[in-house]
Amino acid sequence: MAELCIQCGAELNAPPALCHSCGAIQPFRAELSLFEVVGLPESYDLDLQALRNQVLQLQKSLHPDRFAQADATTRRSSLEWSTRLNEALAVLRDPLKRADYLLQRQGIDALGEQVKVADPSLLMTQMMYRERLEDLLAARDQNGLDQLRGEVEEASSKAVNKLHILLKKLPCEQVDEAGSVLRELQFLDKLLGEIESGEESLQNL
Amino acid sequence: MALMQIAEPGMTADPHQRRLAIGIDLGTTHSLVASVMSALPTVMRNHDGQYLLPSVVRYCEDGKVLVGYPAQAAAGQDPHNTIASVKRLMGRGHEDVQLLAGHLPYDLVPAEGMIRLRTRAGEKSPVEVSAEILKVLKELAVETLGSEPEGAVITVPAYFDEAQRQATKDAARLAGLNVLRLLAEPTAAAVAYGLDKKSEGLFAIYDLGGGTFDISILRLQAGVFEVLATAGDTALGGDDMDHVIAEWLMAESGIHLDDPLWRRQVLQQARQAKEALTEQEQVELTLDPGQGAPRVIQLTRTQLETLIQPVLQRTLPACRRALRDAGLKVADVDGVVLVGGATRVPALRRLVAEFFQQPVLTDIDPDQVVALGAAIQADALVGNQREDLLLMDVLPLSLGLETMGGLVEKIIPRNTPIPAAKAQEFTTFKDGQTAMSIHVLQGERDLVQDCRSLARFSLRGIPPMVAGAARIRVTFQVDADGLLTVSAEETSTGVRSEVLVKPSFGLNDEEIARMLQDSFAHGAEDIAHRRLSEARVEGERVREALQGALSTDAALLQADEKAQLDAASQHLEQCLTGSDADAISKAVEAVEAAAEALVQRRMDSALRRAIAGRSIDELGE
Repeated sequence: MAELCIQCGAELNAPPALCHSCGAIQPFRAELSLFEVVGLPESYDLDLQALRNQVLQLQKSLHPDRFAQADATTRRSSLEWSTRLNEALAVLRDPLKRADYLLQRQGIDALGEQVKVADPSLLMTQMMYRERLEDLLAARDQNGLDQLRGEVEEASSKAVNKLHILLKKLPCEQVDEAGSVLRELQFLDKLLGEIESGEESLQNL
Repeated sequence: MALMQIAEPGMTADPHQRRLAIGIDLGTTHSLVASVMSALPTVMRNHDGQYLLPSVVRYCEDGKVLVGYPAQAAAGQDPHNTIASVKRLMGRGHEDVQLLAGHLPYDLVPAEGMIRLRTRAGEKSPVEVSAEILKVLKELAVETLGSEPEGAVITVPAYFDEAQRQATKDAARLAGLNVLRLLAEPTAAAVAYGLDKKSEGLFAIYDLGGGTFDISILRLQAGVFEVLATAGDTALGGDDMDHVIAEWLMAESGIHLDDPLWRRQVLQQARQAKEALTEQEQVELTLDPGQGAPRVIQLTRTQLETLIQPVLQRTLPACRRALRDAGLKVADVDGVVLVGGATRVPALRRLVAEFFQQPVLTDIDPDQVVALGAAIQADALVGNQREDLLLMDVLPLSLGLETMGGLVEKIIPRNTPIPAAKAQEFTTFKDGQTAMSIHVLQGERDLVQDCRSLARFSLRGIPPMVAGAARIRVTFQVDADGLLTVSAEETSTGVRSEVLVKPSFGLNDEEIARMLQDSFAHGAEDIAHRRLSEARVEGERVREALQGALSTDAALLQADEKAQLDAASQHLEQCLTGSDADAISKAVEAVEAAAEALVQRRMDSALRRAIAGRSIDELGE
């Protein structure tokens, strides 16, 4: 059943935060997915530029600055929609968070603390990368760091490609494999952060 | 006015139709006002042609209030009644300014809420003092525009918290201004350039004032200005350049006088030399110590640049940090905007251009750019321009909660766009725990003692469960004004507690920047400390669990097993008094190994008793 505008009674189109007929802000609906909030189809393959434009366009009409003089209920709705839009942009534009979110929508918590999957090859890779990073930082080897960063970035984009294949059809059928690629990507992202902060501390010395 | 104004058709609206609005840069050292006049944002000048009004207010004996240069001139002879840098006191309580108090010559009065200053005109709040500055700017605007402006946009530092923003707004109201909006200074600077050039893209706003440095990364797209990241160093500014030049001058002169007046005189000359050398290649300075012959010293621009190079270099770490926080590379930046008088120094412009690998934008006067941006926004807000801007802000410092061992768990990281919300689950530490104290903090460091405490509240009525079984969900909601609400709920029973706190209330920008710097300077130290704290928490948990088990089931152990376990346990207790994280972790492992037999037998016996029809709950009795 279609939702109706609280002000003019018109049928609401996607995205449903604002009435397309009278422009009224609608009460916040926590049950909507991040995709529904921004009005884009649920998919791993996302046009990031379109996502940004859509979120910014919606923020222009929904941001609390637009309702500074409005009544408390309207201000509350605006705050909730605007918060959710910020969250949607942060989650959906990130390849790791977006994949995690899609799996969570299927009830799979691939990055949760309960998941302690022993993946010996990933563990081994992690140890090797970490040792290399430590050695390079100790030796202040900027070229070596650049090379390591290149390798990690490449591995990371390979992992994202795998996720594109695994999550092409939703709901995902190979959840175990997707989960293990997700954990690999999480590690690579973290490592990239460590390389960057290491480089930063070398530059700042 | 004798001359008639001639305007292109359409360029100037009819004076009766055009609505008047002003932008005000209310600065720590200088303030100024601008407006969009004849389609161009322009700063307003007084009768002497000056547009910079020193942010100094003097309460005179005859009851008059002087603002600007005349007040500044009297600062030395009448310090208690001449208030400078009042911006640092805005929205601050008595405790907050204790750190500043030693550096300020004012007579501070402890009062409910915001601090007050004792002057011969009575006790004045920083809001009232700021209002005096704003009144002068408003008069200038009325005189220039020919009538009252409908509204004003006033700029505040990106780091200003809600209390400071509120105080600024109050000062404007007191001065009879209708505040359309408060605007972050870097955003105002970006607006001045972005709209001027009708460009879209990423801007770096490099703002070096007298005593503070700020770098912000902003994105302008489809009329939305997003602050992506801000970083800075508030113990760094143009004054630092003056100091290194003064040190050099004193060394060069060979005069060693430990006289504050002499030092101030040299410092003054250092500043003038720095300013002169932005245009000239060489200056000649005459240092007169009062006794003996004056010394004449030559200073070339090249020498000056060598002297100030270390100061300039100190701005780069914050630039790297801001870029990294924004997830950007130098090549992504489309424009670099310079703000603040200190950015006139040619060597600085070269360094910034080199760092960002592009020419810096200097066509707008760095002293004016913030006020001009505010004027443009004010003009848009009163309806003169249809283009609607949306300015999106970020959280300046991370929000977190205290966890076991005096550690802070970050819930919302700094530079998250606001409004924002985040929920996190925690659990109980001890068996039967029925209450949980929630301590909300702001800052980047890992330890509670190094962050700013924002609020404490308790969640009571948690049903007694074994340690780790309760699920406590803590939700942070930060609204667009930066106001924070924290609520906590035990999810299996629905027990709730809620508190409204103001983030960064009572934090001044120096503190914010210092806390940010410290987190980077002490990163390694924090990691070591965190490891130790975590090891201690784990050690205590194991020790308590073992004592609990032994008090009921010691009989399950053989004498030699018991002795072994006791030895391991004693060793653990000993390690817990020390500060070696590895030793504690090893001792924990040893206890766990020695307790293996006990754990096994307790489980067996529990199972047997359960099978015999007794509930697990009774086992502990």
